[in-house]
Amino acid sequence: MAIQPTLRLAEWCTVALFVGLILLVFQQIATDMAAQGIASGGPYDNGAAYPQGVAIILGVLVLVQAGLLVAGRKVASETTSWGELVRPAALIALFALYLGMLGWLGYHIATPLMLAGVMLLCGLRRPVAIILPTLGVSFGLAWIFEAWLKIVLPGGIFHLNIAW
Amino acid sequence: MIQALMSGLDLMWTPLSLGLTVLGVVFGLIVGALPGLGPLMGIVLMLPVAITLPPVAAMGFLIAIAVGGSCGGSISAILLRIPGTPLAAATLLDGYPMAQNGRAADATGIAISASALGGLFGGIVLIFFSPLLASFASQFAPPEYTMLALTGLIAIAVVSEGSLLKGLIVGAMGLLIATIGTDEFSTGYRFTFGSYDMLNGFHIVAIVVGVFAISEMTMQVASGGLNDRPAVGAVRPSFRTFLLTLKHWVNLIRSSAIGAFFGALPGAGGTISSFAAYAAASAVAKPEEGYGKGAEGGVVATESANNATVGGSLVPSLALGVPGDASSAVLIGALLILGFFPGPQMFQQQPEIVGGVFLVYLFSNVALLFVGILATPVFVWVLRLKKSYLIPVVLLLCAIGTFALQASVFDLWVMLGFGLLGILLRLGNYPLAPLVIGAILGPLLENNLRRSLLISREGFWIFLDRPVAATLVAANVLLILGALWMGYRRRQLKKKMQEPNNTATRSA
Repeated sequence: MAIQPTLRLAEWCTVALFVGLILLVFQQIATDMAAQGIASGGPYDNGAAYPQGVAIILGVLVLVQAGLLVAGRKVASETTSWGELVRPAALIALFALYLGMLGWLGYHIATPLMLAGVMLLCGLRRPVAIILPTLGVSFGLAWIFEAWLKIVLPGGIFHLNIAW
Repeated sequence: MIQALMSGLDLMWTPLSLGLTVLGVVFGLIVGALPGLGPLMGIVLMLPVAITLPPVAAMGFLIAIAVGGSCGGSISAILLRIPGTPLAAATLLDGYPMAQNGRAADATGIAISASALGGLFGGIVLIFFSPLLASFASQFAPPEYTMLALTGLIAIAVVSEGSLLKGLIVGAMGLLIATIGTDEFSTGYRFTFGSYDMLNGFHIVAIVVGVFAISEMTMQVASGGLNDRPAVGAVRPSFRTFLLTLKHWVNLIRSSAIGAFFGALPGAGGTISSFAAYAAASAVAKPEEGYGKGAEGGVVATESANNATVGGSLVPSLALGVPGDASSAVLIGALLILGFFPGPQMFQQQPEIVGGVFLVYLFSNVALLFVGILATPVFVWVLRLKKSYLIPVVLLLCAIGTFALQASVFDLWVMLGFGLLGILLRLGNYPLAPLVIGAILGPLLENNLRRSLLISREGFWIFLDRPVAATLVAANVLLILGALWMGYRRRQLKKKMQEPNNTATRSA
């Protein structure tokens, strides 16, 4: 049976995320925080007690949520195809690639490439309709941040910074 | 308070503060008019820019976005029958029929005038009630603050979209996220995994931008229609609509009062208040007023209420440091980054900042009236923008703005990480606001809880020994029980409504 990306699947994924988070809290308390000596003592010294308390409350709530999911109280019939998720996933991948390249290529090369990529992904095809807004937005925002707000944007290996 | 307003006038009456407030109104109207964005998104996108500015100018800019954004949604609601924001959902009940009857310019003009007047009413409530609340809260000690922070979090979780349980789960997650970094008391490192970048925890702006903006843009891409261009005709409202609005002055005052009241309640908000005001207005209206068929009063009620809510929501935000909704949570975050701690101390130690914030709020509503009516044709033109242009620009704004905080690429990855978290939470129908409120209220809650336990000789009993703290404990319990009861009643009602259908199906 093929797994459909349903609301129910998304709900189980979030439950899994919360369980992972709770386990991480307890793992960190037992190892890192215990090693630092902040996992015991009174309210002043015990830096682990509060996150532990919140994690326990979160655990109880997640348990109830998982129980509701098992009991089928929140059954959802909405289904979608994996194909529909390709475009949003590509957007995230493209944006992650941009963040990865930002330091290396610098703002003035990486940004127009990212903007053009997202516009292509959104279905724009005419080169002029892509290139002009891409350059305009990229340089316009660079001007606002660099010339007005005095924020130095990444220059990359080519040290591309415009002296506005 | 007069002294605070006078000292705030010096900070507010500068070309930078005034100019940015007007710019904020324009930007707010644009993001409000564009379906899928809204005032919260506008504040989120401009937060990184604002925190580089002087405090009153920064707060003026952000508050003006909230004010403009609360009104902007009505433009698309009236012209396209698509509320730009949930705040304007009730406005289309009468606004769209008015446009259909050939009165689009009147409807937008009335919406803008009512928003400005409602906002000014909210401002008066803010100026009168927040000092009173702050003065009352100045007697609070850590136990009261602990419970107050909990009340804020629970109230937001209760009224957020989705179930109470999901709201509480996400709120608790926000509290955990706030613990990342160096512990203030023990100076130990928590959940830093040896990373130098995580010693101060995650920057609240990176969290907010990721959770709201990145996830929203991804959802917009998924929803399609990226190259659709809405067909909107030219609309040119005039200042005559201001007089049309004033004709409904009783409705205006009543709806503004409802809006300010709901705004001051943590968790309530503009959507609830505009529907409540509409219900109140239509209940007392004469049949010939034609509510639902294009009544001016309907637009006056909803728009004055949702803008008065902005002022109301600033009351607990400024006086107690407890946000009334997600937008005011981000505004509190901005104040914290600017080095101010909202609450009674701010009223005592920095009255000029408080006064300045009050004045920029009032000025932003005056600016809304003029900018809104004069520049409506521009906002109508913006409505024709394709999402395929809007999405990349918003993404770039997110990236460049978040980078600008600390010139840190790490913040950008945090933003993307929280973007992915936001997408997952949206897919699972979890509300996002409690996460941000949890992350903002987390330090307030933890610090005061630990201080309370340090003071206490009998552990948690300290919260029941003190009358105000005990009242807040009771309020929290009642909030949860009330939400559970309402959920139960809703399920029963749904079941009852389905029963005849089931019987009919069986007999067929």
